[in-house]
Amino acid sequence: MPFDRELLKGSIALLILKLLSERDMYGYEIIQESVRRSQDAFEFKEGTLYPALHQLHKRGYLRSEWRTGENGKQRKYYSLTATGKKAARRSQQEWFSFTKVVNAILSKANS
Amino acid sequence: MTHPDRIVSQVILLAKLPGNKRRCEVEKELRAHLDDLAEEARSQGYDHEASARIVRTRFGEPEEVAAAFASVYAAERLLKLIFQSVILVTVSTVAVVLVIGTLQSIAAIFTATSIMSNLRDIHREVFGFAAIVAGYCSLYAGERLFPTSRARALLPSITLGLSLAALFGWLIPQHVALPLAAFACAATGRLLQRVEIPFVWFAGTALPLLMAWALFGPLIPGWRFPWLVWLGLTISCKALREIVGLFERVFVEQFAETGGQS
Repeated sequence: MPFDRELLKGSIALLILKLLSERDMYGYEIIQESVRRSQDAFEFKEGTLYPALHQLHKRGYLRSEWRTGENGKQRKYYSLTATGKKAARRSQQEWFSFTKVVNAILSKANS
Repeated sequence: MTHPDRIVSQVILLAKLPGNKRRCEVEKELRAHLDDLAEEARSQGYDHEASARIVRTRFGEPEEVAAAFASVYAAERLLKLIFQSVILVTVSTVAVVLVIGTLQSIAAIFTATSIMSNLRDIHREVFGFAAIVAGYCSLYAGERLFPTSRARALLPSITLGLSLAALFGWLIPQHVALPLAAFACAATGRLLQRVEIPFVWFAGTALPLLMAWALFGPLIPGWRFPWLVWLGLTISCKALREIVGLFERVFVEQFAETGGQS
């Protein structure tokens, strides 16, 4: 089922922070990983990932560095800063609380 | 130009990212991503055409990506624009003061009056200097803001001209004609400098002056060399043209012309 674009847009920062809290990744890898974990359900225009990464970098949540991979290709790897780690935890908690509330409302409405 | 190159160029061109270093970095990053996408499509057996289509679809519209980048760097772009404008206006004002100060000194030598007393009063002409710079730079700003429409490029000049008329009318009601004429001369001078007929812009600096003269009489009562006012304005316009040219070479980034290939 395709998700609403605004919904995806709103959650992209959370997904980036969460994935990067596990390991350093480059843009294409972030996309691959989110598609894999969502079992292909999570699809968004990949170009829009980069402005989101730059926004988080500007806020001081991410640091980046160019690294050369095994195939000789240069990739820009992103990793979380200390502030980014805090933001990742906070965003995740916020998301769980939010979805809990929304679920409670929806289940009440459905019952 | 390959398909990924076109996408990257479009994003860079439309995003108007501040700074060459940042542009190169984004360009390299997007390019790497598009290469990965194309490689993935090819490894799945798609031909060149099909993989280009897949890359485009998965990446999204360049306009949309560019708009998102533009909004991320909007504050930096604005700060940079303000900083550049302050530099342009400051350098332009210094140039106009130097041109007119030099001309007045030369006139003082020829009339055997004191150069120092002439230059001591130069601060009284501050409205005139400001008007020349405002007239010239507002038209240049219009050209930058509306590069495709000559009529709309006049809007900043007209708006600023009317505002200055109101301000000068309130601050210096007795001497409003000269600075306003200077404003119009500088703006018309800039306008006609774009016409590819040599020296036609001399008329641009002369016409508003003559019209003001016809309407309000001598702009500087008792002054023996009224043509020196025109000469001062014309040389100022020439100096401002050089300054704007230098400003464009130094500050105005070339990505619009090269499509991010800098």
